[in-house]
Amino acid sequence: MKSKSKINYTFPDENGRFGEFGGKYVSETLITALEELEKIYSKVKNDKSFQEEVIKDLNDFVGRPSPLYFAERWTEKLGGAKIYLKREDLNHTGAHKINNTVGQVLLAKKMGKKRVIAETGAGQHGVATATVAARHGLECIVFMGEEDIERQSLNVYRMKLLGAKVCSVDSGTKTLKDAMNEAMRDWVTNVEDTHYIIGSVAGPHPYPEIVRDFNSIVGKELKLQSKKEFGKYPDMIVACVGGGSNAMGIFYPFIKDIKTKLVGVEAGGSGVKSGKHAAPLSDGKVGVLHGMKTYLMQDKNGQILPTHSVSAGLDYPGVGPEHAYLRDIGRVEYQSATDQQALKSFHELTRTEGIMPALETSHALAYVNKIAPKLSKSKIIVINLSGRGDKDMFTVAKEDGMTL
Amino acid sequence: MTRLEKIFKQTSAKKKILVTYTVAGDPSLKTSKKILDDLVSSGADILEIGVPFSDPMSEGPVIQKAHERALKKNIEFKDILNICKQIRKKNSSVPIVLMGYMNSFLSLKNKLAKELFLAGVDGVIVVDLPYDESKSFFENLRQEDIDLIRLISPTTDSKRLKQMLASSSGYLYYVSLKGITGAELKNFDEVKKKVKKIKSLTHLPVVVGFGIKDTKTAKKMASFSDGIVVGTKIIDFIENKSSKRISSFTKSLKKAIN
Repeated sequence: MKSKSKINYTFPDENGRFGEFGGKYVSETLITALEELEKIYSKVKNDKSFQEEVIKDLNDFVGRPSPLYFAERWTEKLGGAKIYLKREDLNHTGAHKINNTVGQVLLAKKMGKKRVIAETGAGQHGVATATVAARHGLECIVFMGEEDIERQSLNVYRMKLLGAKVCSVDSGTKTLKDAMNEAMRDWVTNVEDTHYIIGSVAGPHPYPEIVRDFNSIVGKELKLQSKKEFGKYPDMIVACVGGGSNAMGIFYPFIKDIKTKLVGVEAGGSGVKSGKHAAPLSDGKVGVLHGMKTYLMQDKNGQILPTHSVSAGLDYPGVGPEHAYLRDIGRVEYQSATDQQALKSFHELTRTEGIMPALETSHALAYVNKIAPKLSKSKIIVINLSGRGDKDMFTVAKEDGMTL
Repeated sequence: MTRLEKIFKQTSAKKKILVTYTVAGDPSLKTSKKILDDLVSSGADILEIGVPFSDPMSEGPVIQKAHERALKKNIEFKDILNICKQIRKKNSSVPIVLMGYMNSFLSLKNKLAKELFLAGVDGVIVVDLPYDESKSFFENLRQEDIDLIRLISPTTDSKRLKQMLASSSGYLYYVSLKGITGAELKNFDEVKKKVKKIKSLTHLPVVVGFGIKDTKTAKKMASFSDGIVVGTKIIDFIENKSSKRISSFTKSLKKAIN
């Protein structure tokens, strides 16, 4: 009997859920705004002229399609599976984040909103939002944790140059989750004229779906590119997971094709066993935060625990609800890489391929570093090279004991 | 008759209900308990007790800090239930309503309703649990006769309001403004219109909260509703280490609305 190579998959359901995960856990005031967004999105999702507008921007403004690059020297060095990189680092603004903001800003305009807000961790989503806001002449406010402002000062300045106002958030742990709290507070206050551009496949429905769909251009391109390049789909796709937008973007078009193994790599910080990490899928419990039911790092009283990761973009105690579901049904395997493993891979790719990856992406590289030598040379691994590492210069220098 | 039904039965055109909000464990377990006692003796009709949470998304800066102060003292859910039990020992009539975020209530899993009942809690307000997601949660609470107090906001339309009213009990909490706790309340007429609309659709009492910081606003808001909720201003006193003034402020509110 021929084994099944396809599965059925239609999520989220009509309640905005991926199995038990997802949903709309927000204050009553925001429900109307979410319903408006849901309505407009379901309308434009299959609207040809809207989709053409998005594609035009992705091509001419972002610079898509992004290349699929064979990392030949690194492959040789590891001596196993062939490693390819999906070059999202070559996008305008330097990461996959712009795929989503290009689409969401058009949604904002459709809804007649004059003001956009965003949360940001590493600053890439903030920059991507500030960029599209500048292009469309919208007011833009970006919320960023005080600690992240310090470690990502280059991106803070980029946002300011683009005309965005960067609001420092000094509550709680002063990182991404607190920036998201503050963005929610702004949204609930200015809900009538403001669209909240969430930067990950997180938050209340319909955000996980919208952000996934806009990012899934990555996986769609990869399907075409891999057919052309190797006459088949990759054997394995690897991506880092914080909230999980770059991973969902590259995984989603492949979910039904079960011959392609999908691996998400979380931030292991000082090691999952140390408790100092940002890996809720590896070491979290189901709960509700930021509008969604998902795996969270929390204590027995439901208090959200502080996270730790060398990469600001993965420093988040939750994860998109679709990842939670994909983990539970076993369609995606979730692994973690520590700060040190990620830093090592950062240097290795930089020196071997002349490509400087973001520290977030370096977590995916670290896993491949481990797994590729164990696989046969006929296997093909594709890594979503989700962003470039220029923004991380200060962090890397500090880790290496240098001051710039 | 539940404690909440009893208290609202006493309302009339001239007598309105004063609801106070403080955070359990702020500034410490002992002091917050003392403050709750003082609130009752100076006229609070219903105690809304905040369950401190690491990520209080709907709160303004004053209440956020109250949550942080309480968490610094390592307040756990069982401590909050203990506070409720202690209040209940002395006072069998004042309704107690716990207000917090979904993740805190989830931490008690299927024991929640039973534990709340045993602690003498009458109702629950869950800020991030809208009507749409609340079906099983509501049913679980109802098994122990605990009310799930619904929040209604300026953006809630009539169709939705009617759906919500079909599964509401206790009282309704009208959020007077689009925003966070402690924000500036500007549009009185709009609030009045909306409260009248809600009252025309239900027999449940409607209290108004968010942005009520002085006796003048309290009086105005109480004139067309069944009562008012005051939180930020009381917590202001705690933050400024002048908890002693809470009693006289509460008395003045009570006088203003009656």
